[in-house]
Amino acid sequence: MTGPDSAEPQNPILRAENISLEVINGGTRKNIITDFSFDFYRGKIYNILGPSGAGKSSLLRLFNRLDEATGGKISFNGKELNQYNPCRLRRRVGYLFQIPYMFPATVKDNLLYVDPSLSDDTIVSMLLEVNLEPDYLASNVEVLSVGEKQRVAMARLLIMKPEIILLDEPTSALDEKNSSLLLKLVKNKVSGDGITAIIVTHDSRQALMFDGETLLIIKGKLVEHGPAKQLISHPKTESGRSFLKGSGE
Amino acid sequence: MTGVGIENVLISLILAAVALAIGFFWKIPVQKNMSIGIIRSFIQLIAVGYALKYVFDLESIWLISAVILVMILVGSHASYSMSKQVRGAFLISFAAIGTGSLITLCFMLILKIITFEARFIIPLSGMIISNAMNAAALAINRLSSDIKSNRLAVETALALGKGKRESCRRFQQQAVIAGMTSILNFMKTVGIVALPGAMTGMILAGAEPLEAVFWQLIVAYMLLSSVTISSIIAVELTLTSHFTPHHQLKLKS
Repeated sequence: MTGPDSAEPQNPILRAENISLEVINGGTRKNIITDFSFDFYRGKIYNILGPSGAGKSSLLRLFNRLDEATGGKISFNGKELNQYNPCRLRRRVGYLFQIPYMFPATVKDNLLYVDPSLSDDTIVSMLLEVNLEPDYLASNVEVLSVGEKQRVAMARLLIMKPEIILLDEPTSALDEKNSSLLLKLVKNKVSGDGITAIIVTHDSRQALMFDGETLLIIKGKLVEHGPAKQLISHPKTESGRSFLKGSGE
Repeated sequence: MTGVGIENVLISLILAAVALAIGFFWKIPVQKNMSIGIIRSFIQLIAVGYALKYVFDLESIWLISAVILVMILVGSHASYSMSKQVRGAFLISFAAIGTGSLITLCFMLILKIITFEARFIIPLSGMIISNAMNAAALAINRLSSDIKSNRLAVETALALGKGKRESCRRFQQQAVIAGMTSILNFMKTVGIVALPGAMTGMILAGAEPLEAVFWQLIVAYMLLSSVTISSIIAVELTLTSHFTPHHQLKLKS
């Protein structure tokens, strides 16, 4: 078992033990993830860095059971994922898709979709938290920009009060202003509320921006891990060096 | 009109020949299909006529049940061939068509609208099953294609803690409507745009128009019942076939 710090005092919130994912596509078997093990701890940011097609998003999908691992074990708060009701688990391990989907309705309807009993005050405070004015509540989602949609999706995710947030390439479609807003929000949630953020990215600059422990995944395997700055400036492995050479660093 | 015989049928073939000639003259590439259709319909219907005569004469409960089962199986296969891309399409079709048809038939028997006689059961089953077949195939295809083309919407709902049913609610509703559209349109326009088959057949055979209308109404309500039940069952089972028991979307690769 690998971990960010051997002297870590607490139990991991999420533990992956030798997990693998194999898919059959067009009659041929393909290994998407091979023998992945890692411990994720509460109140920290993790970057999952690697080239496109490395299996990063597939890994996130296993963490909230949108897909099932074909081998190994994943535990959340010490209990295996299959011991949780999948719908309840997904509210505790929230997932933000790379391209956020908005249900065709108003911003308010999208937020109420998660919890119809939410009070107006809670909805407004949630919007303010993601830096959107309350006027947006009555707006149809079709008129929102990509950045605004991303923030509404983030608010919708946070309404569930997740313990872990899984973010799939969260800034890839955002401009600099929206990226830094999202970054600030994620950092606040991690340091303020003790949420664990696991962020998938193919861009080493984004991993540096979010900072935190960074896991380098290539061809479905965990190649190396370490603090973002250290891993990106001094990769220990040949495959790490070769990937990072072409990833903006 | 009374006493129609094989000679009348042979004379009416002139009309089919005229259609073929027009197709040939206008170089419409349907002569082959048209010829096959003319021959097949002739052979199939004559064979069915003799088979029905045998079933009607025998009046055996087992034989009638066997005929209904064969009709359901053939209907299920036809529905399956229209929706092969869906996992378990044959069983889904069989369950949907079988349940919708049998419940409707049973109600008609229990409520004494019809008696258990081959001359009622067989033709009504044919109408019920063929309509249920179309409804099931349309509902299965619609839901399956909606789930595939709205994968992100479905998975967003799943990721927000919703179950498979809630994640696909609007697609389910659309699919049931797709299955029922034909019968709903039929009920809206019946008697205005066209006189429906059952009624026309009865009038041609010499029945009183009002009696024919009563039968047609019974047929319409019967079809509405079977189509609704079959569409809902088809949609429920298609939904289940697209998900694992853990509310994970599984698409056929």
